[in-house]
Amino acid sequence: MSHLKKLESLLYRLITAPSGVAEGLAAERTLRAGGLDDIVLGDERLSAEARVDIYANMYFYRLLDALKQDFPATLAVLGDDNFHNLVTGYLLEHPPTEPSLYYCGRHLAAYLRDHPLREGAPFVADLAAVERAVVEVFHGPDAAALEPDSLRAIAPADWPALRLRLQPSAQILALDWRVSELLRAVEEHRDWTPAERGSHKILVWRRGTRVLYRELDQAEAEALAAVSRGATFAEICEVVAADGDEQDPVAAMNRMLARWLTDGLLVRG
Amino acid sequence: MLKRRDFPMLGYGVGLRRQHYSHVLETRPRVDWFEVISENFMVAGGRALEVLEGVRASYPIAMHGVSLSIGSTDPLNRDYLRQLRSLARRFEPAWISDHLCWTGVGGRNLHDLIPLPYTDEALRHVVARIREVQDILERPLLIENVSSYMAFTESTMTEWEFISTIADEADCGILLDLNNIFVSAFNHRFDANEYIDAVPVERVVQYHLAGHSDHGTHLLDTHDHPICDEVWALYERAARRFGAVSAMVEWDDNIPEFAELARIADRARTSFDTATHTANRESSKKTGKPALPADHRA
Repeated sequence: MSHLKKLESLLYRLITAPSGVAEGLAAERTLRAGGLDDIVLGDERLSAEARVDIYANMYFYRLLDALKQDFPATLAVLGDDNFHNLVTGYLLEHPPTEPSLYYCGRHLAAYLRDHPLREGAPFVADLAAVERAVVEVFHGPDAAALEPDSLRAIAPADWPALRLRLQPSAQILALDWRVSELLRAVEEHRDWTPAERGSHKILVWRRGTRVLYRELDQAEAEALAAVSRGATFAEICEVVAADGDEQDPVAAMNRMLARWLTDGLLVRG
Repeated sequence: MLKRRDFPMLGYGVGLRRQHYSHVLETRPRVDWFEVISENFMVAGGRALEVLEGVRASYPIAMHGVSLSIGSTDPLNRDYLRQLRSLARRFEPAWISDHLCWTGVGGRNLHDLIPLPYTDEALRHVVARIREVQDILERPLLIENVSSYMAFTESTMTEWEFISTIADEADCGILLDLNNIFVSAFNHRFDANEYIDAVPVERVVQYHLAGHSDHGTHLLDTHDHPICDEVWALYERAARRFGAVSAMVEWDDNIPEFAELARIADRARTSFDTATHTANRESSKKTGKPALPADHRA
């Protein structure tokens, strides 16, 4: 290992030490007798350790700020202190590896699934999952939405074999807690109430540059899953017809299609 | 060899920040150019890229990165460089810049600008990497001096010797951040004027102007305060030494109204005119020749 790599590796360990540079230094076995003073210049204003500590603080608080921005509802539910502690542990398990801060929160929802903080707020992992999806959809790939006129031009005989395609940035999440109202309340700066238990699917998508989300009923969730699989229109209709709750599958399919077009959810296949 | 005249003189710009996206797109304010943070636009799609399309249609831009990690001992991140090249091909910036520092090691990212020791080893390492980056990006790179809070006992040269030698040997440009010079000069007790006076004139392609916060024992490069008088004085000194150089106002926290940033960019223009006219007048008094106009808007 080159000398420069040793230096960078040491500084990395000290800057990311969870309880600060002093504790990080105590764990270092290879430092010479002079310790950090042999490496970093200190003076009467700031010791070598205090200087590295500046970077350690900036590391943590920059990431904490980024995660607060990406997970405002998770923050609102957990409160500042719990969120701070959550991030401390999260960064130990999932230190950033990518060049952009955009990626720093991608494991937070999964990390929360086994976290003790869920005892007080069992819905918080689902909430974080939706907040993360909002971030990903916001930056997801662009595609021009399908115009209703272009569907009207399709000959009736061609409809059964027609393949629809969802916006490439759209996500469908399976959740155990109904968190969308809580998230909307936080976004609109209203008082929020804890989410209630209930398995369902939620659609997160982008219309233009605006990210939207809504809960899906069983029939629509299955129809959209079929669209995502690349099913033909005839196959999607069969999925809707197979749903026992739909009295009139044709009318249901028409309603869904109209809404998907209004939502800008479909793109050219 | 890279020369500043190979780059356009963009004038006096500001950093494009999210808070001002709508204002810029809707009003097309009078400002010469924008610097954009490259990583903010290295995404698949969405509003950021739509905004940049709109901005680029009306203004020149430069792309400024924070994650190149040119001083890291990790291998260069080729995926990152390919994305950066792709973004540059799409938006045609006047140039691409990043910092003379490292931001991570061992596959981990600190998301901070960590200084290097000023040694021959670090110098050789960085020079080789800049050359490789310039080949991949198919264009010259500007490297920026960072604010730093620690310096290394093993350093064998000054920061200005380090950056100047790297720029010469890698044949790259320099983005001179005058606030960073001021901050580091305070934190490490060197003479900021000496720094300005030592950097090779032809390599300085851009300035950053920014504010910092004073923590008593040290200054922090927070980009959340107005530019202090001492940094303006450094700018005027730089203007006299380097001549016409594109300048940009960097403000990242407690961001004021756009009009305030545009006013500061205008102050940079006026300060350049004042500094260089004064210098020309003094020069003409000595030589008896007429003063040259400060033609920096070409």
